[in-house]
Amino acid sequence: MNGSNRPGTLLAFDTSTGTLAVSLYRDGRVMEASQSFAERNHSVRIVPEIQEMMRRHGVHREDVGAIAVGRGPGSYTGVRIAVSAAKTLAWAWDKPLVGVSSLEALAFGAWLKIRQEASAQERDAWIVPLMDARRGQVYGARFVASAAGRDLGIEEVVAGGAWSRADEDGIRLIADWSAELAAQAKEAGVALWFVGETAPFAALDGAFTLPFAMDGGAIGPLAADRLRRGRADDVHAFAPNYTQMTEAEVKLQAGEARRTP
Amino acid sequence: MTDKDYLMLAIETSCDETSVAIVRGGREVLANVVSSQIETHRRFGGVVPEIASRKHVETITRILQEAFEQAGVRRGDIDAVAVTQGPGLIGALLVGVVAAKSLAMALDVPLIGTHHIAGHIYANRLIGDIVFPALALVVSGGHTELVLLEREGVFRIVGRTRDDAVGEAYDKVARALSFPYPGGPYIDKLAQTTEEEVELPRAWLEPDSFDFSFSGLKSAVLAEINRAKMKGEALNQGALARGFQASVIDVVTTKAMRAAQAFGVRQLLLCGGVAANRGMRERLTSLCEAARLPLLIPPPSLCSDNAAMIAAAADLKWRRGAFTPLDMVAGAQLSLEEWSVSDDSVSS
Repeated sequence: MNGSNRPGTLLAFDTSTGTLAVSLYRDGRVMEASQSFAERNHSVRIVPEIQEMMRRHGVHREDVGAIAVGRGPGSYTGVRIAVSAAKTLAWAWDKPLVGVSSLEALAFGAWLKIRQEASAQERDAWIVPLMDARRGQVYGARFVASAAGRDLGIEEVVAGGAWSRADEDGIRLIADWSAELAAQAKEAGVALWFVGETAPFAALDGAFTLPFAMDGGAIGPLAADRLRRGRADDVHAFAPNYTQMTEAEVKLQAGEARRTP
Repeated sequence: MTDKDYLMLAIETSCDETSVAIVRGGREVLANVVSSQIETHRRFGGVVPEIASRKHVETITRILQEAFEQAGVRRGDIDAVAVTQGPGLIGALLVGVVAAKSLAMALDVPLIGTHHIAGHIYANRLIGDIVFPALALVVSGGHTELVLLEREGVFRIVGRTRDDAVGEAYDKVARALSFPYPGGPYIDKLAQTTEEEVELPRAWLEPDSFDFSFSGLKSAVLAEINRAKMKGEALNQGALARGFQASVIDVVTTKAMRAAQAFGVRQLLLCGGVAANRGMRERLTSLCEAARLPLLIPPPSLCSDNAAMIAAAADLKWRRGAFTPLDMVAGAQLSLEEWSVSDDSVSS
């Protein structure tokens, strides 16, 4: 890979969970990744946090190659905060905007930690990120991390296929889904990892768990890969991925369905 | 750059309009783009906060872009970014607030958090000069207030609704008469169609009070509709709408005139979404003429929620160098009185 198709410094952030995650990423390396846990306060801290981090590293607007953002799913209000900031910055600075799945960022960050543990690397692994969506539901997805990816650089893992998606982001009932995944993983002979907001769910049988907070450093390599593939997003049209309609829309649809024989 | 030609960009997303304005010198509106979500919310019979927030985030950069195109200025020309800090729907406010903070950082210009009602009041400064002391009658979907301005930028609420806002009462009555949301304009129009009037109560409250109450009136309208239904009579909708509108306008304008006299103000300002109501404008105009009290009423486009009015109010803070840090907190219940300017060091 030569220097010319490097996207410059990526400014990456995510506010889909209780963690305000901000990072700067350049040339396959995380320059800094900060996490703060001021729940429900992301709208207050996000812009100062970005500004301070750029200043600490002497990164100016000319140096920014793209804005990368977690587009959800997660807290509706939370996701909108990062997406509003990302759209506005990308538009104001005329930079490419790259949205990544917040669940994928959560999973990838967790896997980067998992792969450091010797015992966890011998088999391929299914990495299943969880965010608590209440009432026994989770936002979740499934990613396959091959054992071959254990020693690769973080961008090579993503680019070379050692990291891939197996299930789309969606909202699911954790009890049914976790049992189903455990049975499938056993049959496939892979290690099953539930990562992220695992704490609320006591019995995740047949699986490893890693309680893990969103790591902004995981967004950079995912976004850089999308940029390399020419998959930047349209700034104006870009919107969060909520994975579901609003309650009002659901009720309205149900009402219309009842009226239509 | 002087204070007369500085460029302020303002963002308003407190309810169901996404609006961006670019205003020169606090008064000259170069662009005031308003993207209304009314069509989206109509099928739900009112504003759905989560849907409003979703729409704002989908629309915000398009509206920013359009404002620059209309104004014919460049992003680098902007000297300050103002935004509605509150009150309003918190999820909706946050989209504008975060966009404004991001823009202020991106352009390296000051941020000015602005009170939505100060915006409605200062919409009047876009069409004329405010003479102090002044009294503002704020009538909208979420607010019914009498606000005394003893001097520039200093707000004191002397009367407020104890239950429904005027606009809210209009919408509820309109819904009971099966008009689509928002129903206020239908009632206004219907009331003009007839000379007949169903006599409805007026809530004057205590003799010295400038507060309002509209829940009793709303109940009286619903009772009248029920009464007609029970008796199998055809409802005279026009007469009922006229009676309702007469009661609202009578109470609101009488109290405003009484307060104007009590506080010895030199000018009355009508503002807020319901200030577009024809009956309200006409009555207040004739009362003010009789009392020889100067009256300002913005055109309808500056009465409903818009960002130009936010720029007009933010100008108060700009001229005092009273900027807001980027860790500003949006406030669903932000206080108007506390938002008042705090000193007299004004550059004019």
